Amino acid sequence: MASAPRGLVRRRARPNWAAWALGLYAALFLVFLLVPIVAVVWVSFSSASFITFPLPGYSLRWYARILEYKPFIDSLIVSIEVAVGSAILGAALGVPAALWAARSRSAAAALVANLLLAPISVPAIVLGFSLLYLLSAMGFGISLTALLITHTVVAIPYVARTALAVYRSLPPDFEEAAAVLGASRTQTLVHVTLPLIRPGIFAGGLFAILISLDNLPLSFFFGSSATNTLPVIMLSYMQNQFDPSIAAVSTVQMLIAVATLLVVNTLYGIEKFTAA
Amino acid sequence: MSASVPLRLESVSKSFGDVQALKPLSLHVRAGEMLALLGPSGCGKTTTLRIIAGFEMPETGSVFIGERDVTELPPNKRALGMVFQNYSLFPHMTVAENIAFGLKMRGVGAADRLARVRQMLGLVRLAQFEDRSVHQLSGGQQQRVALARSLVTDPAILLLDEPLGALDKNLRERMQFELREIQRRLGITSILVTHDQEEALTMSDRVAVMSEGEIVQIGTPTEVYERPRTRFVSEFLGTANIFEGIVKGEAGAGEWTVALDRGGEARLAGDSGLATGRRVSFAVRPERLRIGPPSGSALMAKVQDVVFRGSYYAYELVVAGQDEPVFIYTQSRATVPADGMVGLSWSAQSAILLGERPSP
Amino acid sequence: MSSRALSEPAPPIRTRRSGRFRLARISWTWPALLFLAVFFVVPLGANVLRSVTGPETAAHGIFAYYTKLLTDAYYAGILIETFRVATVTTLVCLLVGYPVSYFMVRYAGRWNGLIVFCLIAPLLTSIIMRTFGWNVLFARRGLFNTWLVQSGLIDRPLDILNQPVMVYIGLVHVLAPFMVLSITSVLQGVDVRLEESARILGAGKIATFLRITLPLSLDGIATGCILVFVLTNGSFLTMLLLGGGKVTTLSLLIYQQFNLTQDVAFAAAMGNVLLLFALVCLALQARFVRREGVKQ
Repeated sequence: MASAPRGLVRRRARPNWAAWALGLYAALFLVFLLVPIVAVVWVSFSSASFITFPLPGYSLRWYARILEYKPFIDSLIVSIEVAVGSAILGAALGVPAALWAARSRSAAAALVANLLLAPISVPAIVLGFSLLYLLSAMGFGISLTALLITHTVVAIPYVARTALAVYRSLPPDFEEAAAVLGASRTQTLVHVTLPLIRPGIFAGGLFAILISLDNLPLSFFFGSSATNTLPVIMLSYMQNQFDPSIAAVSTVQMLIAVATLLVVNTLYGIEKFTAA
Repeated sequence: MSASVPLRLESVSKSFGDVQALKPLSLHVRAGEMLALLGPSGCGKTTTLRIIAGFEMPETGSVFIGERDVTELPPNKRALGMVFQNYSLFPHMTVAENIAFGLKMRGVGAADRLARVRQMLGLVRLAQFEDRSVHQLSGGQQQRVALARSLVTDPAILLLDEPLGALDKNLRERMQFELREIQRRLGITSILVTHDQEEALTMSDRVAVMSEGEIVQIGTPTEVYERPRTRFVSEFLGTANIFEGIVKGEAGAGEWTVALDRGGEARLAGDSGLATGRRVSFAVRPERLRIGPPSGSALMAKVQDVVFRGSYYAYELVVAGQDEPVFIYTQSRATVPADGMVGLSWSAQSAILLGERPSP
Repeated sequence: MSSRALSEPAPPIRTRRSGRFRLARISWTWPALLFLAVFFVVPLGANVLRSVTGPETAAHGIFAYYTKLLTDAYYAGILIETFRVATVTTLVCLLVGYPVSYFMVRYAGRWNGLIVFCLIAPLLTSIIMRTFGWNVLFARRGLFNTWLVQSGLIDRPLDILNQPVMVYIGLVHVLAPFMVLSITSVLQGVDVRLEESARILGAGKIATFLRITLPLSLDGIATGCILVFVLTNGSFLTMLLLGGGKVTTLSLLIYQQFNLTQDVAFAAAMGNVLLLFALVCLALQARFVRREGVKQ
């Protein structure tokens, strides 16, 4: 149809008021989500030793305070040790089981998969409370080992969840190809399966680390000077004094979490975590 | 290069839940032969291949490679090569690493591996692609890497699972010849699983047509194409016009006259023993039918449509009182009267008598 | 049996157990199963045992603690409060979150990534940080009161921080993102062409939403609601730190029992009731929500 472009009337697109209204509303909602966080970051740079507005001035003294106040640093180290340790243990236990459960349609496989995921659904306070008594009875008492075991119980579902999802979406053909080409089970696992699902496992592990770092309900049952995690120390600090050093610690902790999440995102995609 | 070995299946069967995927099936593939398993999806051809590969354990029967019973062996102990439908090239390895994989699993040293990989790359004409990632390859190149990967270990049997299904038409035709040429050169016993009749006929020494978990006919491409034994085979191997009627009597040396259900009469060349009064069905291929002026004994039909298909004309005709249209392919355009009524005829030799087995 | 076997001809071919090639062996599950059995199943089981063998069970029967929880006016009140807080929080999250989900799926376009990041941001902060944030905003000398007083709207700062509503604000703040993300993932699977078909067939915008979009996103709504409900039931730090201790729910009570009264058997009984709540919700989810379905 080659008609002459004569008398073309350019029509202005009708404004979509519904979209604009929804957009405005969504923006307000996001402001609601961000405001308390931004407020904390802002206050962390205050020069005053109590919360007052307007801020009398800006300083980094509360960040310096983190380094001076030993429990902050000690507990941060405990937190990181427990988080990383439980993620590694959780992966070592959870991934092989997930590999078995992912490719079977049997009732037993469904049961295993559900058991692997179950600790997510149990309120942390119930789990922490129950484990405290069991681990004490077993002689672990309040120790780093007890804390590590507790966090591993919760790390397993996070690692298993991504392992199940990634392995289910991996066609069995690669493993079959490896087998036909002469690879034994172990060789197939090491050379084909694990390299292919590694990003998913890694992402699940990092997510488990994120959860562990802030799992106050689980950690506070195991509080002692050697086993206090950062959130436990922060809680007791905040109940005693109310200075912006908490704001500074929170900001640092958030930055660690954001960095971890950015790694997860590049490896795996955040949106996949929200699907389940 | 190792000597070619035969492959034998004996009474192999398999069911999934209540579905009998494979009725007890026996099959002998000769040493160095390429045998195609041809059939629609769900006919059992893929299950057969997976049993040979060792991915599925048959419920009954045994698989022999050469004289060795491999039924209970895991896939990695069977000395097989296999090209998968989507190639299943390992995405985390380069072209060379993919091809070397089987050698590495067998503990072949790095230097020997490299030499063998280069040799295979030469065979499939991909010498300069050694260090490429498999993502950077075209479909045809991936297909060749998959072939090289499956052949590098000198397998006893080569399994091809719809190896060309993911390629476009032109490339597929080229690869058919290339694959066939390499297989002949190596003399490796091969099983080709395909649903594409043209691919099966072009590439294989023998074709086994499968339907509903069993082999319904096995023979050379010419045999199954020219002499399909059942209506199913005839229809699956290309558009065939099926006619039914009753034998009226002998019309000369090995020829019978048949009164067609659709009206008119036809000649049928057949073996002896076609008793008068017997119901028969037979197939006539579209390229064997002729259009002529209406005449007494010819089958009357009306031209519905004619389509030019590049190298031939395809006519669609309707025979009175019949739902199924009849197709005719001719090299040149036929003269059709204004009312479209024509007579259909064919030589007695081109009518293929079909077996009793009703079509599904 | 033997006589029957004799009368039948021997089977011509041997039948074997057939299976599919699979990489993982069942033995690979043993370490995880053992670990979870010892450190997950056993402690929860012991908890049940503890709740029916505490000192009070001697006098009042094995369900003494559960009876106390359900019949004592104070504890029954807390159960009702727990249920109310969870229900209200869930409904508020749904009402607040649904329009955001709809905007994300249908209009956000390139802003989507930024919105997802903002939604996840509260989840990356500790409960301590969020509580501190609300303090900064709503304390007597906080941002909000300072602004109100300075602008002359009020004479004396408002005590917002210690009102029950603060608990709800705190809960909605951290839980609404779960609702939004649950609904979004289902809404994404709703083909926009279904909405367009409805429009062509004569439905107005509102009718289209009510009759097409909303019913098709029910799965996401159910998933989100159950998730928020379960998570609210499990939270106690928000109730502990915000609202001046005016909202007491079951999980907060467990914390108090453990920390103050050390009544272990009673705390265990409460924990089991809380766990039962969670299990019922999960069972509901498994029953009514078509799993993950829409997109994988």
